[in-house]
Amino acid sequence: MTCRDIDDLMSSAPGNPVHTPDTVEHLVSCEKCRTLISVLHEGGKLAAPPEGQIKRIQARIVETLKPVRPLAPSRFFLFACAIIFLCIVAIGATPFGMNGWGALSTMQRIAVFTTLAASAVLLAISMIGQMVPGSKYAFAPTALPIGILTALTIVLAATFRPHAEPDFVADGLTCMRNGLTYSIPAALLFWLLVRRGAILYPKLIGAAAGGLGGLAGLSVLEINCSNMNVFHILVWHWGVVLISSAAGALLGAAVEFIERWRSQKLS
Amino acid sequence: MQSGEAACTSAGPDIEQLMSRYQQADAGAAAALVATLSPQLHRFFAGQMGSVVEAEDMLQDAWLRIHRARHTYRPGEPLLPWVYAIARRVRVDNYRKRQRITSRERAVEVLPEPAANKAEETRNLPAFEDLVASLPENQREVLTMLKVNELSLEEVARATSSSVGAVKQKAHRAYQRLRSLLDQSQFAQLMPKGVAK
Repeated sequence: MTCRDIDDLMSSAPGNPVHTPDTVEHLVSCEKCRTLISVLHEGGKLAAPPEGQIKRIQARIVETLKPVRPLAPSRFFLFACAIIFLCIVAIGATPFGMNGWGALSTMQRIAVFTTLAASAVLLAISMIGQMVPGSKYAFAPTALPIGILTALTIVLAATFRPHAEPDFVADGLTCMRNGLTYSIPAALLFWLLVRRGAILYPKLIGAAAGGLGGLAGLSVLEINCSNMNVFHILVWHWGVVLISSAAGALLGAAVEFIERWRSQKLS
Repeated sequence: MQSGEAACTSAGPDIEQLMSRYQQADAGAAAALVATLSPQLHRFFAGQMGSVVEAEDMLQDAWLRIHRARHTYRPGEPLLPWVYAIARRVRVDNYRKRQRITSRERAVEVLPEPAANKAEETRNLPAFEDLVASLPENQREVLTMLKVNELSLEEVARATSSSVGAVKQKAHRAYQRLRSLLDQSQFAQLMPKGVAK
């Protein structure tokens, strides 16, 4: 048995359950492991809070105690997100027609919309998970928005080709404005939805809500816009997701600041 | 590896049931939950901050937040990751608050050392708080949850929004660093710095 095995054992079981013959044999010969275990064992003996404080906390909680209904299951929120997303896309697709959809080849449609749908589902699951403290995540909530933006960049860059475009900025700004017109309301609706949960990290959840709104805006643009220039799509369409995510994170930061200010004022 | 449900019994067999009754405004269950979880939450804060006074403040803050967010606990789910995810946020906020205060009080050149535990002083072993204070924040947090609060890897992963693999890696790094610190000469060098926080 090695020190590494002792580490594995200490990590895999709570407390300090190092009692097997192999481990005892190692501990007899290894002073560092022995000392480490002794010190860690001391950690469990740290002082308890004063009895009076526990009583004060109990009194404060009991005096404001009211029944609450537990948060609805995650699938309910996922369904609500899907409804918001699809409604926004449908509303966005109606006034401007489906020129973009018509201009896309079958392969391009599959590549673009599969990526958009997968990204939206993953981001929605992550965002809903953040409503409940201690949720289990398949992907770290901090890394997911970055991963999605990267995946979108790769797919869009691989799916479209560059074309000459005389009014790159003017056309692009029109597209971005159209995209943001749909992404901002979508993000606000997602934000209202997630507010029902416990928002521990407002910036993170804001970025997720903004990103999801941005994906709705990007979907609208891919359906509406017939410009197939890869640079137009990467700058002005993809930019909608980036701006929405950043705006969501900023909104979250503002919420965090206000909460901190309130708590300082109260204390 | 231990399952989340099995490990949840570390704080008592009925904490999930107590939580469900607390959601239904059962005052007895709320009081029992506070009494059951407060000592380990206090150890979580004290183990990382090295200050009992701060730990007491954070304990109060943690319960206020738990109370406000109690509707987000879903009956049947393990309770400890839920509680520790909230406690972790309280600790982060307190850490930032302390950073802000410290930055405003630069006039004090030497930071006061954490209150020494008399019982520890008489021993050859360094105090747990002093030793873990030298670890990076994320390793300290994982180590405290695993060894002080006796959470399972799965529970720590959920409370810290990371994977079991990432928790294991942080714990291993922490053990390695602690071993090197326990080498008396290195620890002796570390101690006069007032145990950097």
